[in-house]
Amino acid sequence: MSARRHPSEERLLAFAAGTLSAPEAVVVATHLALRPRTRTWTHLAQAVGGSVLDDLEPTPLDNGAFASVLDRLEAAVPDEAREAVRAPAADHALPAPLRGFDLSPWRWAGPGVHVRDVLGPRDGDCRVILLRIAPGQSAPRHTHAGVELTCVIEGAYATDDGVFEPGDFEEADPSVLHQPRVVSRAPCLCVAALDGQIVLPGRLGKLLAPFVRL
Amino acid sequence: MRSPPPRDCGALIARIAQAQDRDAFAEVFDYYAPRVKTLLVKSGSPPAAAEELAQEAMLTVWRKAASYDPARASAAAWIFTIARNLRSDALRRGSSALHAFDATFGAEAPAQPDAILSGAQDGACVRAAMRSLNPDQAQAIEMAFYQEQTHSQISQALGVPLGTVKARIRFGMMKLKAFIEREMRGAE
Repeated sequence: MSARRHPSEERLLAFAAGTLSAPEAVVVATHLALRPRTRTWTHLAQAVGGSVLDDLEPTPLDNGAFASVLDRLEAAVPDEAREAVRAPAADHALPAPLRGFDLSPWRWAGPGVHVRDVLGPRDGDCRVILLRIAPGQSAPRHTHAGVELTCVIEGAYATDDGVFEPGDFEEADPSVLHQPRVVSRAPCLCVAALDGQIVLPGRLGKLLAPFVRL
Repeated sequence: MRSPPPRDCGALIARIAQAQDRDAFAEVFDYYAPRVKTLLVKSGSPPAAAEELAQEAMLTVWRKAASYDPARASAAAWIFTIARNLRSDALRRGSSALHAFDATFGAEAPAQPDAILSGAQDGACVRAAMRSLNPDQAQAIEMAFYQEQTHSQISQALGVPLGTVKARIRFGMMKLKAFIEREMRGAE
């Protein structure tokens, strides 16, 4: 059976409901930007959110809430003016969901492997990185301390489950030893949400552990 | 007795956008502000925070009325998304940069005929689809919208295994999709 290459329906529902952690949401949003067809599910989930909202019992607001909001409307800055003061997008050509974030410099993370941090989305130990792996290279064999979500942005890699191409989304199974190998001619660029440190098994892991910070 | 949603909430939002119509805004406020407050309370916000965020959500409805596109989402789904974004901003930093992207409902993508998209803007169709689910599926899906953090909490609250919760959500979503696609094809 071939692996699925899009987020599960329950993960897409959580994305639409706003209950995914920020790092996970960034990776899912990148997938949605590259694979508009998956948006069918998030549209559906948002529509269900609307129907859930319609069906809720109302909780009265405080006395004077409407008047207080009306007062603040006077001061509400029109949308266009707000757009203008927003900081310019970071200087990189990544899919739209990643453009609002600053990036750390690239750092070496093993032969042919570079990583940089997507600064901002964090949830405890969970964070977002970009991984760039050279053609023909493998990422270091690793197991996962936590959930790892990956979305390919450029290039392609292969695992035992087949080839993953731009837009493909992979949810790593913590029990599986994972060693993606780049099969594209150009380097493979991925965005990933990592929870905790990746564990590199074996001697290479022991050798690299003091130096490699993913 | 619960009041029905304003008959054409999309038109009310359009009047806010075009004419800063305060009467239209009052109607939207009266119906949705108390429901947004309930959503936030059910999501674990303390009452004072829920009050503040519900008011903030209504201010956002006013400010962003021009960006609402009735061809892409029901008014309820749009207001739900606004409330959801405010809630996640309040809970954690680092998520707000995402909202500029997903609050557009993918408006930057070329519009293509899509049964789900046209069904999703129709609140009545979505509610009918929800009623077609078995109660376990509907409950798991509803809880996913107001339970802060993950399906494992839903699993604890319902006292059923996590895998069961995920399966209920997954099959429920597939059933909703099939229902709406069938209904929308019937409408053509």
